[in-house]
Amino acid sequence: MSQTRRKFINTILGIGGLGSLGAILYPLVSYLIPPKITEAKVNSVKAGKADKFKDNSYKIIKFGREPVILIKTVNGNFKALSATCTHLQCIVQYRKDLKEIWCACHNGLYDLNGKNISGPPPRPLKQYDVKIVKDEIIITR
Amino acid sequence: MKKLFFLLSIFLLLLSTVFYAQEKTIQDKNGQNECLNCHKSDENLPDDFKSYDVHITAGLTCADCHGGDPTSDDEDIAMSKKNGFVGVPSRKDIPQFCGRCHSDFKFMKNYRPEVETDQVKQYYTSIHGIQLKKGDKNVAVCTSCHTAHSILPPKDPRSSVYALNVPATCNKCHGDKKLMDKYNLPSDIYKKYVNSVHGIDLLKNKDVTGAPACNDCHGNHGATPPGVSSIVNVCGTCHVNNYNYFKASKMGKDWEGDNDYHGCVTCHNNHDIKKPNDSFVGVGDDALCSDCHDKGDKGYEEAKKIHQELTNLSTLYDSAKVKLIKVKQLGMDDISIGFMLKDAHQAMIKARTTVHTFSSAKVAELTVPGIKIANNAIKKADEEISDYHTRRYGLGAATIAILILIIGLYLKLKGLNKPEA
Repeated sequence: MSQTRRKFINTILGIGGLGSLGAILYPLVSYLIPPKITEAKVNSVKAGKADKFKDNSYKIIKFGREPVILIKTVNGNFKALSATCTHLQCIVQYRKDLKEIWCACHNGLYDLNGKNISGPPPRPLKQYDVKIVKDEIIITR
Repeated sequence: MKKLFFLLSIFLLLLSTVFYAQEKTIQDKNGQNECLNCHKSDENLPDDFKSYDVHITAGLTCADCHGGDPTSDDEDIAMSKKNGFVGVPSRKDIPQFCGRCHSDFKFMKNYRPEVETDQVKQYYTSIHGIQLKKGDKNVAVCTSCHTAHSILPPKDPRSSVYALNVPATCNKCHGDKKLMDKYNLPSDIYKKYVNSVHGIDLLKNKDVTGAPACNDCHGNHGATPPGVSSIVNVCGTCHVNNYNYFKASKMGKDWEGDNDYHGCVTCHNNHDIKKPNDSFVGVGDDALCSDCHDKGDKGYEEAKKIHQELTNLSTLYDSAKVKLIKVKQLGMDDISIGFMLKDAHQAMIKARTTVHTFSSAKVAELTVPGIKIANNAIKKADEEISDYHTRRYGLGAATIAILILIIGLYLKLKGLNKPEA
């Protein structure tokens, strides 16, 4: 085998070998360090520690593609409901002063069971289940 | 002794009255209803008779409304005036006729403790009641809406006054051109309503709890058209933010008590309210502002600016939505973009409500952050789309690299097997 041919084949092998190694290693590394993407279809999410959640407060949780409002009532009970207003799909909030769920867009009000009680919302908010497992708040469909 | 005997007699008399009253109720509920038996066999039941009528299911007999003796199958006895037979009441007496029970709280609480007992009182405050008192026999009475013999509670979907059925029930009279012409009233209200945003929501989307039927704006027993000063209040019962913004605005204050401008209906109409869009505001062909504001005046310029603010945000929001669909189709991460768009959407909805302040500055307070969010969403979507292409190119490069390796290996192996010259 001539020197030129050998050199050519070794170059091809080098390029191909390095390229293939990269093609194998890149997805492997990507798998080990995944991007921060929320799973699209979820049936439950963890929403933090129960003891760190203050009474009469709320936060919006990303439940897959849906926003969910998690409320801790004045009595210390947890409530989780769809945070999408049934009128024009704005995100609702918890009003500490009213102890009710409020939509800022058109002043719609829901009670803590999600029932539409005032303003234009036509339907109630969907309820989610809340469980406390070892002080961890878990919201399920 | 005489005193004791007298008191005992009174006690026994009272006791027997109580027992009699109880016995009568039980008899009425389970006893004979010969009226029904005869009228059934003679096929002479009222046209609207239904056995599910709330009075029948509650155990009342025909005689409880029409009087007479329901235990006798002899027509002369059953329908004798001596036995209290009143027959079919005249139209002008119907409210009082129904009110004998429905205005009696003590009686009604035996059947429906939660039911109101001021319907007749309310009725006489309505245009219908006022006209009836004047001797007008064309106006609606209880049976016009509730029927006479197929009455059901308003929450029952079979009821003529169930939310979905209310528009058609009112239309029986209000859609009668001949009748409405007598009062100089329009007869196309129903046609307008069914194509309105409320009508579509109620009748097509079956939104029974949210969308208003006729009675939600006009009242039911006390039905009157909302007055000039109360229209805003009527709409404001549901559209609270719009009401608050409008009332606090200069226009809202200027229009108060003005007979030429009737609040919400001036721009939105009353029965044919269309779903609003951004072209309603501004100075374009579809714009309502230019009906009153001419070029050069302050309102004209303000309307132009408000329209611009809304259009800027909605155009950007629509572009971001298209990008989101593209990201979804490519199978990339669309969740964070989706949440950003929810925020932009919220800003857009709020800005549209703020139109009722008639201030471009207040609208801009919402559109500017909304535009920023929509821009960020577009940027993020572009990154995801770019990432998708990078992955594609990466896959192509990896395939070429592996192909080169295979060719290299093939040539190497071929060279190894070849005997040295």
